Amino acid sequence: MEKRTWKTNLFIAAMIAPSLILTMGIIIYPIINTIVTSFRSSDGSGFSLEYYKFIFTDKIAVNNITYTMGIVIVTVMGSIVISYLLALYLRFTDSKISKFIGTMYLLPRFIPQLVAVYAMITVIRDTGLLNRISRLFGKDFRPGLMYNAKGITLMNLWFNIPFATMIIVASLSAIPDSVIESARDVGAKKLNVFFKMILPLSFKDVMIAMTFVFMSNVSAFTTPYVIGGNNPIMLGVYLRKQFSEYANYELAAALSVVMFLFSSVSAVIYIYTNLKEKEWEKV
Amino acid sequence: MGEKIKLEIRNMTKLYKNNDGVRNINLKVKEGELITLLGPSGCGKTTILRTIGGFLKCDSGSILIDRKPIEHLPPEKRPTSIVFQNYNLWPHMTVYENMAFGLKLRKIPKAERHRQIMEMLDLVKMTGMEKKYPNQMSGGQQQRIAIARSLLLKPEVLLLDEPFSALDAKIRSQMREELRKFQIDLNITVVFVTHDQEEAMALSDRIVVMNKGTFEQIGTPADVYNNPVNKYVAGFIGDMNFIELADKTIAVRPENVLIHRGTRGGIKGKIRATMVLGHYSEVTVDTKHGIIKAFVSCENSNIFHPGESVSLSFTKFHEYDKKDLAS
Ligand SMILES: Nc1ncnc2c1ncn2[C@@H]1O[C@H](COP(=O)(O)OP(=O)(O)O)[C@@H](O)[C@H]1O
Ligand SMILES: [Mg+2]
Repeated sequence: MEKRTWKTNLFIAAMIAPSLILTMGIIIYPIINTIVTSFRSSDGSGFSLEYYKFIFTDKIAVNNITYTMGIVIVTVMGSIVISYLLALYLRFTDSKISKFIGTMYLLPRFIPQLVAVYAMITVIRDTGLLNRISRLFGKDFRPGLMYNAKGITLMNLWFNIPFATMIIVASLSAIPDSVIESARDVGAKKLNVFFKMILPLSFKDVMIAMTFVFMSNVSAFTTPYVIGGNNPIMLGVYLRKQFSEYANYELAAALSVVMFLFSSVSAVIYIYTNLKEKEWEKV
Repeated sequence: MGEKIKLEIRNMTKLYKNNDGVRNINLKVKEGELITLLGPSGCGKTTILRTIGGFLKCDSGSILIDRKPIEHLPPEKRPTSIVFQNYNLWPHMTVYENMAFGLKLRKIPKAERHRQIMEMLDLVKMTGMEKKYPNQMSGGQQQRIAIARSLLLKPEVLLLDEPFSALDAKIRSQMREELRKFQIDLNITVVFVTHDQEEAMALSDRIVVMNKGTFEQIGTPADVYNNPVNKYVAGFIGDMNFIELADKTIAVRPENVLIHRGTRGGIKGKIRATMVLGHYSEVTVDTKHGIIKAFVSCENSNIFHPGESVSLSFTKFHEYDKKDLAS
């Protein structure tokens, strides 16, 4: 190859420059700025860890972290288990109902989040649709799902089940029928087929679905903001409160770094599962 | 091959929702026999094999192994084992784990399992491959392991659904020979499915020629080759010339066509071309019934030249009534 002249180099630099500057400006700069802010001390004397210490010692802050983690873990487990069952049904039954569900299950993804949340509210609030139906039968059923973790979790499941199902269905569809039929042929019963064939062959994609659900829910804002309670609150809402109501920019910055670290744990798991190809997965 | 009937299918019908499928199938397979279901794609071969293996429920009729009905059993309870065209092996398991899986389910102790697996690997000449994953082997090796895995479980009937169709020609004929050897040595009963008549001829004790969900003829390879019962079978197996007359069709194999210089034969024609195909040559002759193909030995082939007037006679031929030709 010919050696590049300084003119070509300049040209390449000029071509890259706009996107580089844009990236620096809107991604790198705020990140650095946030990290720097999070380490400022309250008396302005320089570097300190006091906001991090606060996040992990303050009663309310810790409470919010455990509250968030609780909701996220239940959301992850719930949506993965339900999605897996749904995906098994869609992959292994051949009926009109399963075909219908197969085409419909992604629809909730197309409804804007806020619209879906308000729609759900009209159903689940204590004077909502469920309550009115129960009153037709002379009862007064109050679901009690508003302003607490249950409502948020329910809403999260609504958003995440379609997504996780999509990934797991794709994974199960990639398992050839002959793999499953050969297993039955040599004497494996349904449970054996599941634990020895289907689960190991789809495990990686389940991990991927889990990490995505985890990440998107750690930093959830809309749902907990609209149907969450006042205390405890999820980290996304807590962050906004510190930022816009109390103008506590340092604490808000430290909170975003912490949320970022939580997300990166699952990002690391994701990258690890993706990079670590088992020998049988290599082409 | 004994006289004992190993597998029997009685009046079995299996139709799909769209009415495709197989109807009124009757078949008896002797112990140690290799029987081949032969027919074009879509004629119902796989359907029959899957009903024997338990992957499809038959609509009516019964399937018996050693005179015991099995049609109500799920695949895992049937004494059969099936090998598909591909993706037989479990991709996340090594060769050894693939072979051990069925034995584990049968609660065979570890040491015994090991002994049996090694013995089987030796039989199929795959010793040393234990630790390989399916994706690290060629298609031929994978099929060999798939067959070995089935044999290890000592099935009463081994079912093979076009197991060699995805392999290239050379490996295919080699695998065919090996299969025939194990099958005779171990005296296993096999139902083999193929659309390749050459494969069926080379491998089978008997061939079932199928057409659109029914059996046309059952017989030894020589039987179906020499005495095809109808035009369909005649055309499906081996090379055949068809001469359409008003009320009947004459079928003649190229090796039964004699070419005469002069007019001694009954059908007149002109030599069209001569093609050397190894130890024999194919001579095509233009006649008023269309092109007729003849096989002549090589030393005779260069005595015929394109355009030369000749006449043909047949040493052997079959006649089929036009009335039957609807099929
Ligand atoms: N699951 C199915 N549903 C509907 N029709 C089917 C199904 N499987 C096979 N068929 C039809 O049944 C006929 C026989 O199929 P098959 O047994 O697979 O033929 P072969 O193995 O001889 O190619 C074909 O016409 C095919 O289209
Ligand atoms: Mg088939």
